[in-house]
Amino acid sequence: MTTAVLRFELAAARRGRTAVLFAAGFALASIAIAVVGLSAGGAVAVQGFARTSVSLLQLILWVVPLLALLTGAAAGSECYDVEYIAALPVSRPALVFSRWMAWLITLGAALFVGLGSAGVLIGLLAGTADAPRYVALLAIAVLLVGSCLAIGIAIGVQVRDRGRALALAIVIWGLLVVGVDLLAIGLLALLPAGQATWWLSLLLMANPVDTARALGLGLFTGDVLAGPTGAALRAVMGGWGAWFLVCALAAWTALPLAAAVRTLRRRDL
Amino acid sequence: MIELRQIWKRYGERTVLEPMDLTVRPGEAVALVGPNGAGKSTALRILAGIVHPSGGAVTVDGSVAYLAQRLGVPPTTVVADLARLVAAARGVTTDDARAALDAAGTGDRMHTALRDLSGGQRQRVMLALATLGRVGALLLDEPSISLDVDGAEDVRSGVVAARRRGAAVLFASHHLHDVAMLADRIVLLVEGRIVAQGSLAELAASAGVAFSTALVDPPIERIYRVLVNRSRGLGPARVA
Repeated sequence: MTTAVLRFELAAARRGRTAVLFAAGFALASIAIAVVGLSAGGAVAVQGFARTSVSLLQLILWVVPLLALLTGAAAGSECYDVEYIAALPVSRPALVFSRWMAWLITLGAALFVGLGSAGVLIGLLAGTADAPRYVALLAIAVLLVGSCLAIGIAIGVQVRDRGRALALAIVIWGLLVVGVDLLAIGLLALLPAGQATWWLSLLLMANPVDTARALGLGLFTGDVLAGPTGAALRAVMGGWGAWFLVCALAAWTALPLAAAVRTLRRRDL
Repeated sequence: MIELRQIWKRYGERTVLEPMDLTVRPGEAVALVGPNGAGKSTALRILAGIVHPSGGAVTVDGSVAYLAQRLGVPPTTVVADLARLVAAARGVTTDDARAALDAAGTGDRMHTALRDLSGGQRQRVMLALATLGRVGALLLDEPSISLDVDGAEDVRSGVVAARRRGAAVLFASHHLHDVAMLADRIVLLVEGRIVAQGSLAELAASAGVAFSTALVDPPIERIYRVLVNRSRGLGPARVA
């Protein structure tokens, strides 16, 4: 039954223009970054995968969470508008999971199309060195979409009203991309060096955007790039850091989805 | 068979449905009538499983088909996508769904979004799909609201067909002529309480309104008004 609901939700997600706009926007942005990045030197050329990936990471960390949180919040609040389907033998967990999965597939495909088009251009004009890192960056972006979609759905299901859910999603986005970093800077200033290392490692897990950032920067191995939180992670977790981060993103997906299911089960539609 | 035993519902401090007992047998059609806010929709939504009762027990034999007042799916939904989902949920094939839509005269609209159908076509599609397979209970909330004469006739035909297949039908309606034509039994709800129930003839007797089954147009609106006013002024009037 879950497969049938997933097919239905997938068809609904595909019908909207969100995915097309998302793919076109990312294609334009990533091609622009690949081309414009070297233009400061006087000549216009295409950057290689490594340099483009580092530049794209910032874009991904700002834009992907916003789009996924907003999409998830809208999808979550609309769980209350499907009485006809809810009266069929369709469980509420199946409804929430299918909705999340459908949007993950749709937005993931849009990311592949968007970033993939830049990837093809880079591969043709600048060579394929570091291409696997570019693909890994894409995978991190998809993991981040999954987490932020789940958080957005949890917000939508909890708040119910679409307008309020979207507003709260924007507030949460601000907290994730800026608020937690401000907290990290404050901790660094206040705590002794040894304790700060532990707290910073915990903060990485406490925010899916920071988790994705550490994973992304880890692709380019270098504590200078990874910054204090990346260095702290390496110090505390050694070579297992990346796996801890992937697990943290998985938890940031599973826990909000479980919360959304719990709320939807207990509420009237 | 539909069975409600001491079902009640409260939202915060407001009780919208007092403890209520109701049974609808297979092949029987029962109408819920009453003013706005009487608890008709709440009772149907509890039976459909989309509202949790505050207390009591619900029993439904077989699968439930529910047609809400509002669409209940995104209006951009394409008929074919909905047909595939409902067919999978009811354990029938997509061809069965297509046949049901053909029978409802909407087979040629498979690739149309629901928002692009007329009100009557949309209701025919939703009813045809809702009653796919072996449906034990058909629940309809204002099924002919905003429909023209032909659309309302289509809905009535759908209800009659579901009854013939043995479904227990419970519907809420403000269209009292639909009620008079379709219902074996009428349940009058006022402010969350059942104040009267029985056949049209029994309710007419209770209201003191002259009634004959030979009349083409029974005076159901008069019967309704007498019983509602009495329940508000003089308390419940129960009929066998």
